[in-house]
Amino acid sequence: MAFHMTINGRRVDANAGETVLATARRHGIPIPTLCHHEAVEPFGSCRLCMVEVTKAAWKGWKGLMTACLYPSAPDLIIETDSPRVRQVRKTVLDLLLARCPDADVIRKLASEYGVEQTSFVPREHPDKCILCGLCVRVCETAATAAISTVQRGHHREVGTPWGGPPPDCIGCLACAHVCPTGHIQYSEAGGVRKIWEREFKLVRCKETGKTLPITEEQAAFLAKRQGMDPSYFTMSEEAQRTRTATTLGKIARWDKLGLVQEEVKS
Amino acid sequence: METVRYESAEGFARHVNDLRRSAFASQRRVLVCCGTGCLAGGAQQVAIEMDKQLSALPAAKRTELNLVMKKTGCHGFCEKGPLVVLMPEGTFYKGVKPKDVADIVHRTIANGEVLEHLLYVEPKTGERVARYGDIDFYAKQMRVAMRNIGHIDPASIDDYLLRGGYASMVKALTTMSPEDVLVEIEKAKLRGRGGGGFDAGRKWRSAKKAMGDRRYVICNGDEGDPGAFMDRSIMEGDPHGVIEGMIIGAYAVGSHDGFIYVRQEYPLAVEHLRKAIDDARGRGLLGKNILGTGFDFDIEIARGGGAFVCGESSALMRSVEGKVGEPRAKYVHATEKGLFDQPTVLNNVETWVNVPRIIEKGADWFTSLGTDRSKGTKAFALTGKVKNTGLVEVEMGTTLREIIWGPGGGMIDDGPKGKFKAVQTGGPSGGCVPESLLDLPCDFDSLTEVGSMMGSGGMIVMDHSTCMVDVARYFLSFLTDESCGKCVPCREGLLQMYGIVSRICEGQGKLEDLEQIESLSQTIVVGSLCALGKSGPNPVLSTLKYFRDEYLAHIQDKRCPAGVCKALITYKVNHDACDGCGACLRSCVSQAISGTIRKGETFQIDEMKCDRCGACATVCKRAAIAAA
Amino acid sequence: MNDVDLAPTNEILSKYPADARHLVSVLQDIQLAYRYLPRQALEKVAETLGVPLAKVFGVATFYKAFTLTPRGKRVLRVCTGTACHIRGAPLLLTELQKRLNIKPGETTEDLEFSLEVVNCVGACALAPVVVVNDTAHGNLTVSRVRRLLSTKEKASSSNQEEEN
Repeated sequence: MAFHMTINGRRVDANAGETVLATARRHGIPIPTLCHHEAVEPFGSCRLCMVEVTKAAWKGWKGLMTACLYPSAPDLIIETDSPRVRQVRKTVLDLLLARCPDADVIRKLASEYGVEQTSFVPREHPDKCILCGLCVRVCETAATAAISTVQRGHHREVGTPWGGPPPDCIGCLACAHVCPTGHIQYSEAGGVRKIWEREFKLVRCKETGKTLPITEEQAAFLAKRQGMDPSYFTMSEEAQRTRTATTLGKIARWDKLGLVQEEVKS
Repeated sequence: METVRYESAEGFARHVNDLRRSAFASQRRVLVCCGTGCLAGGAQQVAIEMDKQLSALPAAKRTELNLVMKKTGCHGFCEKGPLVVLMPEGTFYKGVKPKDVADIVHRTIANGEVLEHLLYVEPKTGERVARYGDIDFYAKQMRVAMRNIGHIDPASIDDYLLRGGYASMVKALTTMSPEDVLVEIEKAKLRGRGGGGFDAGRKWRSAKKAMGDRRYVICNGDEGDPGAFMDRSIMEGDPHGVIEGMIIGAYAVGSHDGFIYVRQEYPLAVEHLRKAIDDARGRGLLGKNILGTGFDFDIEIARGGGAFVCGESSALMRSVEGKVGEPRAKYVHATEKGLFDQPTVLNNVETWVNVPRIIEKGADWFTSLGTDRSKGTKAFALTGKVKNTGLVEVEMGTTLREIIWGPGGGMIDDGPKGKFKAVQTGGPSGGCVPESLLDLPCDFDSLTEVGSMMGSGGMIVMDHSTCMVDVARYFLSFLTDESCGKCVPCREGLLQMYGIVSRICEGQGKLEDLEQIESLSQTIVVGSLCALGKSGPNPVLSTLKYFRDEYLAHIQDKRCPAGVCKALITYKVNHDACDGCGACLRSCVSQAISGTIRKGETFQIDEMKCDRCGACATVCKRAAIAAA
Repeated sequence: MNDVDLAPTNEILSKYPADARHLVSVLQDIQLAYRYLPRQALEKVAETLGVPLAKVFGVATFYKAFTLTPRGKRVLRVCTGTACHIRGAPLLLTELQKRLNIKPGETTEDLEFSLEVVNCVGACALAPVVVVNDTAHGNLTVSRVRRLLSTKEKASSSNQEEEN
């Protein structure tokens, strides 16, 4: 079901079930985000995507809402870059800069809002974690919920059970890939991947001997979740293509249909 | 207690009538307050001794006296406890010790003699008051939500029944439709008592209309505001009142599952609620097919884990779901998707306990009390530098001055520092109100307009020995500890603000700090995810508004006028007054005092070692040590 | 690392349906039984309730009611509510810290005492208040608070009589 809203003075169409952020992006209207990612549910923690929202019925009252969570609705009037919005974004980035002075993505964004140096007291012993929570949420959605946020308030951090190597981690690197600042580090050498103080053996294709970019635990996890044969995940692309081609070749021999079906099954 | 089960409204009415005519009802009562406050004062021993003394009376005397002892919930006058009240006469004894009990039993109860030394002294007149109803503290109150506390044994469902308990529930379930009940609450304009002040009828109506397989009703007993203990007293002292309110509400919105969320720090409330739920179930007032009406409803208790943020409704719901108490955006209301993503009605303890009264006496009665936009009464926890600290329930619209100098009895300290300075209302979400605004009515809107809020009812009176900058620092320390940490403005912003205000208290403030506080506050207020963050800056902003000169003294003069901020005060010995007794040296925990104990010798305080605890000034009999 | 007796954990788990929503209640019962949350107990909880271990750990560290290291036999909770604060709670805390030689959040080596600060316990009229296990002690001063550290078991109730 489609309807219309106004964003920055422009009349745009929107769909029921869409968030303001999704609608805006679909129309090429930029709204900055840090804790948002298509792979996971919106969280609303960085507050960077705040926009000014009003409706004719609200008689001039304007609210500041996070676009990533606010539902698009008929006749909404949205401003994505008003002075009030920019002030909030500027202060949020200023605060994040105090927290993570070495995070490039924060430095860059802060600079766009006129903040070259934080006006607050920088954190002692800072790291690059901005607590966007993407790593935790992706691990929960796509993998095994091996990491989580621990403690609360300004002690909050992304951590592992009892601070040690997380037993449920499968070394899939989803967390490292979604981390906006590069805080989550990993390394790979000699067929071994290291992350979160754990070591994982990368899969070697039995047929070609090639090292695949997934760990053995990851393969087992995927097989279980997809209800498929583990061998599917432990073959190199080359070996897979060969197998598929052979199978298709067998299917293509129409005159031997009966036989083929037997062979394909095997 | 008999095990009777009510299968119908008639069965219920018959039993209550029997109770009314029974010997149980006609007994005289000795009420011993056993709320958390009085227990801390030794009430348990008083109760044990009272029981012992009463049982030791000869059988004939006991029959003649026809007396029963009840351990009740909090009367709300905790500072004067342990309290013993004899009903029906209303003889009120305060500060009762176990050694007083024998006299109470043999002289007052057996002989009608009033024991003067146990009577409350009215601060204004200096006169002793014998009767409960004549004491200003109680006489000036209008107890609706707290009507039963102190009069009943919370473990006795029969006590509750004798005070009209569950009659409203029976009336609602058997003579009214759910829509009738909802309309009555809407007409009453009952606004939530937990701090938000949202119209309860409107909330219930939204939940009723919402789509969902199950509807939930929740009682928010997380009372986290420091200085507030109204809900504690209600849950401890009148647990059935809460249950009855929830049954009526559940009936109105079509819910069959209720939760009472009790904060971790209230174990007695949990115990009393559990007993009450068990008893109500046993009588057929909770559970399946209540009173044969076909309506099912039951209640589960959920305990908090020690997190102030769980008083926020969406965080509370996550906690009940077994998760961390992180709030979520409320663009979609809890009445549509709340607990387990189902339509949920969450209301505060005091809100729920008003419901049976409204059904009993009607919406018109309720709207006859209070102001235009704030109907009914409100319970306040009045603490701090007043003579009578405790629980005060008054009509909405009563002014701050009327409360503090009425039931409150006025300021506690007659000295120069004892003059009224400010009253902090609304807990960490509220602000400080100065003397010039004492004639403001206490209701949902008036206090908000001046930068504070009524909140859940905490009211802390401060005099000139309180430093307002320190108060702001205190609340920021509290909030940074309690923030869930999910969103940037609250987690990082309040932390930075706490740093700024702390530095001001330590003598390292700059004028620019005030500007930074004001601009940072703006972002925290509009940018935070939940009310903890959004209202977090209130204490700083309100103290800055009304006590700016105090901030300036700290920043520009490096001086704390109230003599609280340790870094800005120095303890010095006045050599002329000192007699060399050495009491100060003995009291010092930091070994900062030196001197030889002999007459004519004087003592010195090493500023570097002194940690400004003030113990020496307190013990000095010659008032020779003072803070400068 | 000593092996933890899981019998109490199993008993606690048997009282609840195996549903993730009971996590907080289960943890509260375990904290009461062991005076802390042992790792092995939480691993069993994770398995039985079907909650990932990391999530269990996250919940365990979010709420102040839970500790990951054993608490003392007597837990002294100094109330730092507003009323207590303005009536001298910070002094009581300093005194207890000095006497026990531990900071808030810590436990004495002999596991006799733990010191904590808590939010308002709702006994404001008796400020300042210290709660020892589940018993609240009010109207305390620096000298009275020392008596809470008495080695006699009956310290709590008999002291009240003396003081009042």
